[in-house]
Amino acid sequence: MNPALWAAKTGLDAQQTRMTVVSHNLANVNTTGFKRGRAVFEDLLYQNIRQVGSQTSQDTQYPTGMHLGTGVRVVATEKIYQQGSLVESTEPLDLAIEGRGFFQILLPDGTIAYTRAGEFQLDSQGQVVTASGYALQPPINIPPDATSISMGRDGTVSAVLAGASTPTQIGTLQLVDFINPAGLQPKGENLLLESAASGAPQVGTPGLNGLGSLLQGELEASNVNVAQELVDMIETQRAYEMNSKAIATTDQMLQYITNNL
Amino acid sequence: MDKMLYVAMTGAKQVMQAQGINNHNIANANTTGFRADLHGFGSFPIYGDGYPTRVNAVVEDNGFDAGVGTLATTGRDLDVAVMGSGWIAVQDANGKEAYTRMGNLQLTESGLLQTAGGHPVLGDGGAVSIPPINEIAIGGDGTISVVPQGLGPETVSTVARIKLVDPDRSTLVKGNDGLFRLKSGATAPASTDVRLVAGTLESSNVNLPQALISMIELSRMFDLEVRAMTTAEQTEAVATKLLSVA
Repeated sequence: MNPALWAAKTGLDAQQTRMTVVSHNLANVNTTGFKRGRAVFEDLLYQNIRQVGSQTSQDTQYPTGMHLGTGVRVVATEKIYQQGSLVESTEPLDLAIEGRGFFQILLPDGTIAYTRAGEFQLDSQGQVVTASGYALQPPINIPPDATSISMGRDGTVSAVLAGASTPTQIGTLQLVDFINPAGLQPKGENLLLESAASGAPQVGTPGLNGLGSLLQGELEASNVNVAQELVDMIETQRAYEMNSKAIATTDQMLQYITNNL
Repeated sequence: MDKMLYVAMTGAKQVMQAQGINNHNIANANTTGFRADLHGFGSFPIYGDGYPTRVNAVVEDNGFDAGVGTLATTGRDLDVAVMGSGWIAVQDANGKEAYTRMGNLQLTESGLLQTAGGHPVLGDGGAVSIPPINEIAIGGDGTISVVPQGLGPETVSTVARIKLVDPDRSTLVKGNDGLFRLKSGATAPASTDVRLVAGTLESSNVNLPQALISMIELSRMFDLEVRAMTTAEQTEAVATKLLSVA
């Protein structure tokens, strides 16, 4: 049917998607290690009605062409990897990454996922797991008789065992980095998966080769900026209203012609 | 038969097409770096036997609105906005040079700098490719400096410079893919006067209140065309009645 209607309809769709992204960001304003998303728009292909420069006579040509835009599309919903603020907690197993990098998490199906949410717990075997119970990689096992655990900025995990006066090293944490972290595929549960766009994971020691350092007893807060989201929401709503107004007007034009002819 | 009906019909059809252009602008009110399409109407007299009494209205593409959108701070390293006039050179689907103001750039897994639409950004020596990095910064003149992966901040080095151009507005035309090119098909020379602002995005330059007024105006024009068609019908009806036998 009428291209005027369809162009406005794509606008409604795009604004609706943007609203979903904004709501998702706002819903995760208190999710540890969450990175805000952003809807990226691009204008849709143009239809050539009259070719620019085509001849109007043997010696003259149209100075401008005539092409009709067909609307807008959401080309991506990308994650913005800005550091969230660090919040102090007193839990010894809370870890924050200051700088680039991700923790590696072993999923039950054997694949490795990546996260920046460092709210780790212990399972029944003393292994360090995420809040969902997935094991941190490389595995760290805390002996049952450990009286205190400390994790260094470079990932060294040591524990003071009962009866001992000096700490013993019980494991080493590693972080991974990607060339294009924005290309990681969000999976939910604070987890991200490697994709063709992210590049291969590069494992390294925290604090070296550009990887961030580990901070024990701190958590990285969500990087959602509430004020920014509210402004985005207003912008989205107004644009949505204008698009629905455009549909209503085009509809009235068509209605007028059917009623009057 | 009276051609009034056809003149009005052409008018209505063209107004509807103009409404399509306007709706496209409204749909792109939140598209980064989008330039609004302008339309106008031209008169096309119909020549033939007798006097050229009939003039059709035809909607014309008046190019694009070159006005600058507003800048919004995002803080992301790879978001750039062109300040004032100027364009970022990118490679289109055919490998040719084209221009855009959509500055939400991204890195691919192979280190290629791209626009969000997947067009590689061009530097002084072809597509810009970035080595594995810790930090990246884009300077005001398009210079990209990086701290290579695994090295400290003392190792900042320049890897490329984004090609920025500033051809005359009248020589540019918007292509079907939304990218801009020179009408002549040539490539524009790099300009040192164009400024980029990193950590910022330029909004669409669609003026929503103006688009709304334009929408109302087109809608009323359409009503008038339909009214002219109704009048033509009534005139025909009266003529038929007058000329009917008995």
